[in-house]
Amino acid sequence: MQGNSLRRGAIAGLPAGSGGALPAVVLVGLFFVVPVVALLLRSVTDPEPGLQNYAALFGSGTYVRVFLNTFLVAAVVTAVTIVVAFPVAWMLAIMPPAFGSLVFGIIILSMWTNLLTRTYAWMVLLQRTGVINRTLMGLGIIQEPLPLINNLTGVTIGMVYIMLPFMILPLVGTLRAIDPMTLRAAALCGATPFQAFRRILLPLSLPGIAAGGLMVFVMSLGYFVTPALLGGTSNMMLAEMIAQTVQSLLNWGLGSAAAFVLLVVTMALYALQLRLVGAKRPAGGL
Amino acid sequence: MKLILTGILAGLLAATAAKADEMAFTSWGGTTQEAQTKSWAAPFEASSGIKVLQDGPTDYGKLKAMVDAGNVTWDVVDVEMDFAIKAAKDGLLEPIDYAIVPKADLDPRFSNEHAVGSFYYSFVLAWNKGAVSGDTASWADMFDTKKFPGKRTFYKWSAPGVIEIALLADGVPADKLYPLDLDRAFKKLDTIKSDIVWWSGGAESQQLIASGEAAFGQLWNGRVFALQQDGTDVGVSWKQNLTAADVLVVPKGAKNKDSAMKFLAAATSPAGQAKFAEASGYAPINTKAKAEMTADAVKALPDAHVDGQINLDMNYWAEHRDEIATRWYAWQTK
Repeated sequence: MQGNSLRRGAIAGLPAGSGGALPAVVLVGLFFVVPVVALLLRSVTDPEPGLQNYAALFGSGTYVRVFLNTFLVAAVVTAVTIVVAFPVAWMLAIMPPAFGSLVFGIIILSMWTNLLTRTYAWMVLLQRTGVINRTLMGLGIIQEPLPLINNLTGVTIGMVYIMLPFMILPLVGTLRAIDPMTLRAAALCGATPFQAFRRILLPLSLPGIAAGGLMVFVMSLGYFVTPALLGGTSNMMLAEMIAQTVQSLLNWGLGSAAAFVLLVVTMALYALQLRLVGAKRPAGGL
Repeated sequence: MKLILTGILAGLLAATAAKADEMAFTSWGGTTQEAQTKSWAAPFEASSGIKVLQDGPTDYGKLKAMVDAGNVTWDVVDVEMDFAIKAAKDGLLEPIDYAIVPKADLDPRFSNEHAVGSFYYSFVLAWNKGAVSGDTASWADMFDTKKFPGKRTFYKWSAPGVIEIALLADGVPADKLYPLDLDRAFKKLDTIKSDIVWWSGGAESQQLIASGEAAFGQLWNGRVFALQQDGTDVGVSWKQNLTAADVLVVPKGAKNKDSAMKFLAAATSPAGQAKFAEASGYAPINTKAKAEMTADAVKALPDAHVDGQINLDMNYWAEHRDEIATRWYAWQTK
């Protein structure tokens, strides 16, 4: 926190230094608040004023199903991402720094590769005639190709891969801040490694898991390319459905309503998470 | 130095001058738009001096947004015919100026007041010869998972084609297809639902068949043609091939309407249509075009398979687009 000496010239009622934030406020207003308001307006005015778009949305079994499916996929992806990311983050946290940076670099590098390219790569690997199935069948481990694509499995694999860095980064920060002595102390007191993990490491790393988990969950909710290419139609997510509604059926009112409901639910979840985790800020992180 | 400056100035002047004679053409990208650029835009630029800027891919939402906002940057757009009929009804399109676009030789199936044919195509049954034992012959075979195991691929979006295929496979006579019996179609599709892999673009349909990921499927004939040209071992059945068309439209309020009409005249001319058909394997909508094509190219056209050919009813689809789409996505996401 900056001292009171900086209060000179501050606008009454606003925290010190608010003036410098003006460009950011304008930017957020122009590019985030205005479009969201426009979206909301369109959902209650297109094609005519009223709530008919929302009635159509909740009255449609299709939209409700796609909504539920969207949250299911996001939840599964988040859970699997946490499980996969934790050991990696832990390894990074306890590695010698030089080696750790190298591994870190490799993880970051994957984020710089084009999303579509990475998704197509997964298609080549996961298809019935893909590398994985061919290899397993060649080795005689399986007779029939495993259904790895055009279903929830495919979507989960593809999306977890993309989301991993967003989980690992905040987790490493949290884990690095944990004093290794606490684990040694637990061992000295007779705790098994699992007990030490469950009662010391896990609770202490919760803020990192919560921060990363929320980010992964919210990003997953809006995903388009990966579910469209690796999922089946029964795994259709909301973004793809909205795109169809707007681009092909030209029903902008219904598309806006769907987008707005997703936004509201996401913000509600965010608020809930803030309450549950409390005001505790995650240590480290991005 | 002076020379360079003069050069730059001249260049700038030329650029401003050219700006008055520019228009934008939008299509679906890929091999189709390449063929359109080569067969239509290039000769048109040479003869008229009007520069044709290529844009894409076609996006109906964007088209509507441009018209609604009164800022239309597309002058000619390649769209599916059922969309064109619906869009004309919604007031999104300029009428075609048939004083500039000669109408006499155009196939009347694919041109109307607000749209002029771009090309027409057929949905055909294609299969990977390595993945299917024996030859599949009819749409009914696609629903016979015992005789023909393996995945089958269909067009993912709600559009003319798949519903009709299901009904034909279920034994509905071709002349009794419309009005579409959606209940019956979805019931038939239910029988193979878990064996369907959906394709959402032409390239994807080619990849699925070429790799054998899907043993067989419903493909655009131009895409099968391209696979065969590449030497892929695919079989094709034209039995009950289903025709549909792309048309060219001018969005309401297009800035270069006059140039657009002249472009349409060139694109639908016998020469333009013949060149495009030879490059793409899709069929010309100008009845005089075939006379200008090689015999081999003519043989690959849907025109060579009119026996048993079925015209998908674009007017029916334009009228029931939303209703069918609602049912379609409800069924698909279930």
